[in-house]
Amino acid sequence: MELFSERYSCYYQVLRHLLLHQDALSIQDIRAQISKEGFEESMLSIIPKLESGEWNLFDRDGALYLSKISPSFVTPLSDLEKSYLKALLSDPRIGLFLDRGQIGFLQRMLASVTPLWTPEQFYYYDRFAGGDPWEDEAYRTIFRTLLHARKNRQYVDIDYNAPNGRRIHHYYVPARLEYSVKNDKFRLLALKHTGRGKMRLEILNLARIKSVVPTEKELSSAVDLNALIQSSYYKEPLRLRIVNERNALERAMLHFANYEKNTRKLDENTYECLIYYNQNMETELLIEVLSFGPMLTVTGNDRFLALLKARLECQFNINA
Amino acid sequence: MSNFQELIGSFPKTREYVRDFFVYGFKTRSDFKEKSPRTYDNERRRLECWLSPYVRKDYVSNGANISLAIDSNLLDTNPLFRVWQTKSFTGNDIMLHFLILDLLQDGQPETAEEITDGLLTKYETFFDIQAVRRKCNAYAKEGLLLKEKKGKTVVFSLDDTLPRWLGSRENLLDAINFYQMAGPFGMIGNELSARYQHHNHSFRIKHSFFVHTLEDEILFTLLHAMRLKASVRLSIKSSRRETVSTACCIPLQIFTSTRSGRRFLCGYVCRSERFTCFRLDSIRHVTITAPLENPEAYDELLEKLDRNRNKLWGVSFQNEGNHFLESLSMTLRVSEPSENYIPERLKREGRGGVVTKTAPNTYLYEIEVFDSNELLPWIRTFTGRILSLQCSNQSVERRFYRDLQAMYRIYGIEKKEPQAESKNG
Repeated sequence: MELFSERYSCYYQVLRHLLLHQDALSIQDIRAQISKEGFEESMLSIIPKLESGEWNLFDRDGALYLSKISPSFVTPLSDLEKSYLKALLSDPRIGLFLDRGQIGFLQRMLASVTPLWTPEQFYYYDRFAGGDPWEDEAYRTIFRTLLHARKNRQYVDIDYNAPNGRRIHHYYVPARLEYSVKNDKFRLLALKHTGRGKMRLEILNLARIKSVVPTEKELSSAVDLNALIQSSYYKEPLRLRIVNERNALERAMLHFANYEKNTRKLDENTYECLIYYNQNMETELLIEVLSFGPMLTVTGNDRFLALLKARLECQFNINA
Repeated sequence: MSNFQELIGSFPKTREYVRDFFVYGFKTRSDFKEKSPRTYDNERRRLECWLSPYVRKDYVSNGANISLAIDSNLLDTNPLFRVWQTKSFTGNDIMLHFLILDLLQDGQPETAEEITDGLLTKYETFFDIQAVRRKCNAYAKEGLLLKEKKGKTVVFSLDDTLPRWLGSRENLLDAINFYQMAGPFGMIGNELSARYQHHNHSFRIKHSFFVHTLEDEILFTLLHAMRLKASVRLSIKSSRRETVSTACCIPLQIFTSTRSGRRFLCGYVCRSERFTCFRLDSIRHVTITAPLENPEAYDELLEKLDRNRNKLWGVSFQNEGNHFLESLSMTLRVSEPSENYIPERLKREGRGGVVTKTAPNTYLYEIEVFDSNELLPWIRTFTGRILSLQCSNQSVERRFYRDLQAMYRIYGIEKKEPQAESKNG
C-alpha cells in the first residue's frame, strides 16, 4: 500500500473534476478549475499537456474540450482507503455519525480488510480523564441535531447547564463542532444575536447541553466565523523571549505550533516569538507558558505579563 | 531554475524542509546549512507553490524569513495535507489511470489485451500492452482492480459497490471530515472528502498538531511492523545534534502527547532489556527486520508494557537514581467553593494520582512514577497555589524551587501583598 502516490496528486484531482464535467469546457473553464484546486504553478504544467494532446483525455471540438470518460465514472477505493475506513469503525466516536445498520453493512463490506490501525496501538498519555459520553444515546442525538442544524444554518433552542451552575436557555445557530484532543470533548461554537442586529460567538460544552430543539428559522445571510474569531484576538500578541537552552526553542515552537505565531532570531541564541490569541485562550496559554518555567520569558503584552506576575506573586507570598 | 517542477518523486527529502518552515518559521537561506543554496531555493519555491495561501514572508537584515502562518482555530482542514498531493508521474500514468478505470466501470472482467484494444477503439489512444499490463497489475496490488485467473487467462475488473455506497452516505462523509482532522492518516480522509466534493465546514479541532501528518510515512511502517510482530531498525537524527544513529527495537505502541505535540514510538530494546521511547519526528527511516521467532513473546511484552504504563507519567521508564519508583506529593491552596475546579483539575489531569482534602481549602495530590522529573511542567501550571512540594528524588524538588527563584528574578517579584488571581486555571 502506497501512502505517497500520484493517484492522490493534486493534478489527478484537478483532472478528475474536469473530466466529470458533462459540458464542453473552454480553456478559460479549465484555467479556472486549475486555479481553484491546483498549486500556484500547476497551470504552467497542465495547460500545455492538454493543449498539445499529450494528455489525450479530451476530444477537441474547435476550442472546446469534451471529456472522454463517462459521466458516472467513479474511482474505486484502494486497499489503503478501505483499511482507513475499517480503522474508523473501531473508534468509539463513530456511533455519533453512523447507526448500527450502517456500521454493520460497512463491517461486512470490509470483512477481509485489515484496519490501518487499532485504537490500542495509540496511547494518549496526557489526555484528560472524563471525556464525553460517546455511547450515550441522548448525547448522540444532540450531536446529530446540532450537525444537521449547522449544515442548514438553522436556529436551535438550546437548554444548557453552564459550568457555574447557571441554567441557560437561548436560541443559537451552530457554527462549528469543535473537538479537543486533549479533553476528549466536543464544544459547540454557536452564533447568538446580540440584540443590536449583530452576532456574537459563544462556546458551549456539548456534554452540558440538556436539550436541543430545532426551529423553522434559518440564518438569512452567512456569517464570517473566522472574522468573528480574529476580531476577538488581542491587538497586542503575547511576546515571548526564548533562550535556546535545554532544547527550549524546539520545544516551544512545537508546543505552540497550533497558534498563529511569528518567530524571529534576535541574536545567536535568542529568539522572539509572537503568539496571537483571545480571551478564551488566555488561561490555557498562561498555563502553557507557566509549564515552561524560566525557559521562556514573557516580555508582553502588559495584560498577559500582569496575569503571570500575579500568579508568581501569590507563589512568592506562600513561600515567603 | 528553468527545470523547476512543482511535483516531487520522494517524500522524505521535503518532509524536513516543510517541518522546519512550519514549526520554526524563522530560518533564512543561510540557516539551511546542510543543503546547497540552489536546493534551498527550489524547496522554498515548491513550498510556496503548494501552500501559497499560508506562506508569510518577513524581510529581516540577513534575508527573507519564510514561515507558514497556520492558525488551527481558523481552519477546517490541515493545509499540510497538500504536501501529500505532490507525487510526480508520467503522461502515461495519468492517461492510463482515467481510461482503464473508465473502461472497466461496467464491472466486466477483461484481459490486458482486451483492455489495450478497448483503449484504442473507445478512446483512440494507443498503448503498449506491457504498459497496460503493468498498470493493471499495479492497480490490482493496490486494491483498485480485482485480478483473477480464469483458466490460463488473467482478467481484471472493477468493483464500484463501496465507492458508490460511500458517495451516497452523507453521514459517513461527515465522519471522514471529522476524522481527517482528529485522527491519524488524515490525508487519506482528506482525499476521500475531496473526491466526493464533501468539504468540511462542520468541524474544528483543538490540540491537534498539524505537523504530525509529515510523520505518517514513518508511522505507517511502524504500525505495519506491530501487526507483523516484527522488530525494526530505526535511523534516528538527533534534534539537538546533527548526528544520525541507529537503534533496534520491537515496536509496541505509539505514545502521543496532546500538549507538547510530540509523538513517540514505544519499543522494547532487547540489548538493554528496557522499554524505550523514540521521538517519531526524529526517525528518518524504518526497516522492518524480521518477525519475532516466538509471536507469543510479543504479546507478553505488550502485557508487560500495559502493567508498566500505570507508573509512567510521560515517556521515561527510568529515573536518574537507582530507585524503581519515585514518589511525589504536592499540597495546594484552593479557595472553596469558587476554586473547586482545581481539585477537579487534579483528578482529570493527574493520571491516577490520589487527591485528598486534608483541611479546609487544602488539597494533597500524591503519585508514584518511574521518573518524577517529567511531572515538573504540569506542577508549574499550579504556580500561585503550591503550599509544598515533596519528592523522593530531591533533585526534582531543588529544580522546582530553583526555577521558581529564577522566575522571581526575571519578573522582579519582591515581597508585597498578593494580588487577585484570575478566575480559571
